Amino acid sequence: MKKSFRESKSCDILVKVLFLVLVAIIWEITAKAHVFGERSEIVFPTIEAIGAAFVRNFTKGYAGTGLALYTLNSMNLLLRGLLIGIGLAFAFSGLSMISRTFSNVYNLCVTIFDLLPGVALLPVVIVIFGVKPGVIVFLVVHSVIWPMSRSVLDGFKAAPKIYVEAGKNLGLNGPGLLFGVYVPAAAAYIVSGLKVGWARAWRGLIAAEMVFGIASCPGIGLYINQMRTNMKNAEMYATLIVIIIIGLVVQYGILNPIEKMTVRRWGMVSAA
Amino acid sequence: MDEAGPGTAAGDVDAADKPVVLEVSHLTKIFDDSQIPGADGMGNRVIVDLSLQVRKNDFLCILGPSGCGKTTLLRCIGGFENFEGKIRINGIERRTPGTDRIMVFQDYNQLFPWKTVEKNIQYGLKLKGIRDKEELRRLSDHALETVGLSGYQKYYPHQLSGGMKQRVAIAKALALKPEIILMDEPFAALDAITRNTLQQELLRISADQDWDCTIIFITHNIQEAIVLGTRIMVMEKGGTIAVNEKNPIRRPVTPASEGYGAYWNKLHAALYRA
Ligand SMILES: Nc1ncnc2c1ncn2[C@@H]1O[C@H](COP(=O)(O)OP(=O)(O)OP(=O)(O)O)[C@@H](O)[C@H]1O
Ligand SMILES: [Mg+2]
Repeated sequence: MKKSFRESKSCDILVKVLFLVLVAIIWEITAKAHVFGERSEIVFPTIEAIGAAFVRNFTKGYAGTGLALYTLNSMNLLLRGLLIGIGLAFAFSGLSMISRTFSNVYNLCVTIFDLLPGVALLPVVIVIFGVKPGVIVFLVVHSVIWPMSRSVLDGFKAAPKIYVEAGKNLGLNGPGLLFGVYVPAAAAYIVSGLKVGWARAWRGLIAAEMVFGIASCPGIGLYINQMRTNMKNAEMYATLIVIIIIGLVVQYGILNPIEKMTVRRWGMVSAA
Repeated sequence: MDEAGPGTAAGDVDAADKPVVLEVSHLTKIFDDSQIPGADGMGNRVIVDLSLQVRKNDFLCILGPSGCGKTTLLRCIGGFENFEGKIRINGIERRTPGTDRIMVFQDYNQLFPWKTVEKNIQYGLKLKGIRDKEELRRLSDHALETVGLSGYQKYYPHQLSGGMKQRVAIAKALALKPEIILMDEPFAALDAITRNTLQQELLRISADQDWDCTIIFITHNIQEAIVLGTRIMVMEKGGTIAVNEKNPIRRPVTPASEGYGAYWNKLHAALYRA
């Protein structure tokens, strides 16, 4: 049976593209109509202006440094934080499977710290450690470790008993059972943990850079702030677009393929 | 049912020359029921003082009313439950799971969904120390061929039907060459036709000297027990053994086999008295 166009994938994409075009048209009309009078050029720069600013961001940048370098700095800190955070989440969640005491304490920590926005924690960290790039890494770790741990712990807990017993039957024990059965059985939870963790980390990073932008290690958040203080609003909007693009690239270029190669391929139901 | 049936005496004679693979002695399993409202808190005495021997190449079919403790007995043998008493494999005491006793569960979602059919079979072999890729492939191919699934090596379990998954689970068990294969109603969730086919295949495999299997097979189905078993056991509530004897009907068993009707009636009576 042939599916009608309305139900097809191309139709879904078309709808999304049309919506974006519509938004762009409305934006452009608003910009051209000078709805905000004097301030219109600042609040609603035209798409051409934003496009030009986009290019300028990378060619000229701010004070001789292009946006690419700012972005690279941010990604560098982000990547380090993500790796440490994910690694720690696995290590601590694994320990929780071995020791009941540790599990109790760690579950409590996850519940408490998950409620604490990283930016709120930042002043305390700065008081203790001073203003260093490491502080941003710390914040990224904080943003990713708790949601990731929650997912991994839930995933371990939800691992079907029959897989665990099948694993034990093959002689698996301790770490072997953890990595051989619990981790793959929790794949759906781990993937959803990665998605949540990444999103939190990305937002946390930008927030921290905006609030405590470090001139010695300038990142995207700092750049936006510099554009604002210099009244370069088109540049500001263009930077927002860069942030969105990076988010999309990670979502569609990394996270979705991971999901496709694991959970989907294995026919496992995705965790909520 | 303590008096020996006509087939029992003869059966014990020709089985006696085979070594005892599994010896269960004075097995008692009490489940904690202190958390269950309404229970007396004395524990649910599911199996009390059960003793049982299984010899090499036996195909022991266990029948029994629902809740009498068949699964519990098998899980104790598999090492998945704590128990009192002793369970020995070839004379060595066992209390925890191991590859000498491979369980084929009733639930056909027992294969690891993250591994292909082939990798599911090879995983246990790898853990046993077989590293050579060619050797692994040869072993898994042979096991798959035995259960009629050649060509499905690269499939993921979710791409197979229930019956095919059970075949893979059996292939996985065979490939590991355990001392004993423990099957808990592996065909119960299948339709009648698939079930029949799988019965015939299992019968063929169990009689194949190459595989040299010893099997305990739990079922609710009297016909299945008579068709498959070389020995038949009926369990009563409380884990008492009501019948444990050689299957008197000569293979291949069909409902037209001599004595089938009478034996079916005897087991039926034992089951419903139990
Ligand atoms: N994990 C458990 N905790 C407490 N009681 C249990 C547990 N597992 C089984 N039981 C009890 O043990 C008894 C026997 O259960 P079992 O599953 O061994 O029966 P069965 O003979 O396999 O039944 P069926 O034919 O329906 O599969 C039941 O009364 C059940 O309530
Ligand atoms: Mg059962």
